[in-house]
Amino acid sequence: MTAEYAFLTGINILLAWSVYIILLSGTLSFANGAFMAIGGYVAGIVTVKFGLPLAAGLAAAALAAAVVGLLAGYPALRTRGIYLMLVTVGLAFMVESGVQNISYIGGVKGMGGMQGTTIYHIYGAVLVVGLALWKLTRSPLQRLLDAVREDELVAGALGVNVVYLRLALFCFGAALAAFAGGLYSHHMFFIAPDHFTVIVSVFVVLYVIMGGVNNMWGPVLGATVLTLLPEAFRVVGAWRQTVFGLAIALLLLFRREGLMPFRMASVRRARRS
Amino acid sequence: MLAEQLINGLVLGAMYALIAIGYSLVFGVLDKLTFAHSEIFMFGGYVGVATVALGLPIWWAIPAVILVAGCLGLMVEFVSFRKFTTPDGHITAALSSFAIGIVLIDLTQKIWGTDPVDLGIPRSFYTASVAMWGIRLAYIKLAIFGVTLAIMVGLQLMIMKSRIGRNIRAVAESTVSATLLGIDVKRVTQQTFFIASALAGIAGLMLAMRGGFADSNVGLSFALKALAIMAIGGMGDVRGAMVGGLVIGMLEALAFQFDLGKLSEVLVWALMIAVLLVRPTGLLGRALAREVRA
Repeated sequence: MTAEYAFLTGINILLAWSVYIILLSGTLSFANGAFMAIGGYVAGIVTVKFGLPLAAGLAAAALAAAVVGLLAGYPALRTRGIYLMLVTVGLAFMVESGVQNISYIGGVKGMGGMQGTTIYHIYGAVLVVGLALWKLTRSPLQRLLDAVREDELVAGALGVNVVYLRLALFCFGAALAAFAGGLYSHHMFFIAPDHFTVIVSVFVVLYVIMGGVNNMWGPVLGATVLTLLPEAFRVVGAWRQTVFGLAIALLLLFRREGLMPFRMASVRRARRS
Repeated sequence: MLAEQLINGLVLGAMYALIAIGYSLVFGVLDKLTFAHSEIFMFGGYVGVATVALGLPIWWAIPAVILVAGCLGLMVEFVSFRKFTTPDGHITAALSSFAIGIVLIDLTQKIWGTDPVDLGIPRSFYTASVAMWGIRLAYIKLAIFGVTLAIMVGLQLMIMKSRIGRNIRAVAESTVSATLLGIDVKRVTQQTFFIASALAGIAGLMLAMRGGFADSNVGLSFALKALAIMAIGGMGDVRGAMVGGLVIGMLEALAFQFDLGKLSEVLVWALMIAVLLVRPTGLLGRALAREVRA
């Protein structure tokens, strides 16, 4: 049981980071559950139907989601704020419905036979992505992204290619979500469309918002807390879901900026001259 | 057959429109989305179940649902919207109201179970029909459509003519100016939530009365589409929500008629994305200038 929770926590950390990466440029995506679905199915097709190794499946998953992200993101990122949020919700519904209606991958009944993910794969991936994000935090790119998020017009006027940056991050986030989806499907052995509903997407966003959006550790904390919280509420038995919902509402009320709202310095400590 | 389907579509669309109006009112006043709205809609059906279970005639459910759903709306406003006033607040408010929605679903399922619950009224109530021009019209569908139409007209009159409506429009236009002119923004927000939630509750009750049962899953499968409908019609514009609801209802009925039932789930979202890409504020939406920084 413990291993199962460790596994889910790892997957959720990767998913939370995938939303965080997209959010770095000020785009909130409610479609990451859908990208996860794309990843889970593409990786499954590659390993089960074509018999290729897991690594090939994961690579194909990331690539497929990045392409979908590019195709969907290019028009979608023209919208802003709540409109963009709605477009990503729509995207999530369309992918869900699409997956349900393709009989090649089992339709609503789902698809089985994927295996091979170990806990080391998961935490290896967490480590690699974490290191990459840590590098990013300390790089000039982070300052560009901060500029785009805080004031798009000014950033654009200063010569930052805002559209390109947003699109690139959207694709990266999509690829990471698909990667996590591939790992997930090869652990679960069996996936069905209702593993990747819009609710999943909302929860992933919740991890990030609850943890804090300004630094890379917030999503980690949010994902960990929200994955393990239902377990901690086991004592309340049948009331688990209610208590969980109330806990989220209260946490948001009293920690409005998330659990870890601070912003990490993007420059190394100033060199004294 | 086609005419019958179209009437079904109108009835369906009327319910969509009622929910979408609620989303639209809240968005107009606060520039925020409420994800608890769909669950208040779901709860409306169960108010009907409770009314019948108490031995009261089903018509008593209408004032009951207005009261119960309205108060739920006030609660959602207090928990999920009162405190989140920063520019980034719309995300937090959306997620917080989503959490309230989870609680509402879970409590409903605690009381009535996860399966759809029969309303407990005689079958004749929703099968009784009249034949007109060769079409079979169920009284209940006529009633639903009539009531919805009356509500829409009343609401439009209220928004354009009454004091409450003027206040709501003023706050929607600019919170700051409204405050300076002596309007109690908090009060107006509460009124908006009460009205919006009551409309959702009525729609939920109607859905339950049409089918004869209340279902705890309709929030996600039915009411969330109204969110897309609001975006198609134009955010914060009540007329857009009305027209959008009716059009989508008809289109879905037509999709069923031509055996494309599977399409109906995707249809509304695809349409929303298409509309938002061409006209980012929806078909009847306000000028973009206000929304640039949303």
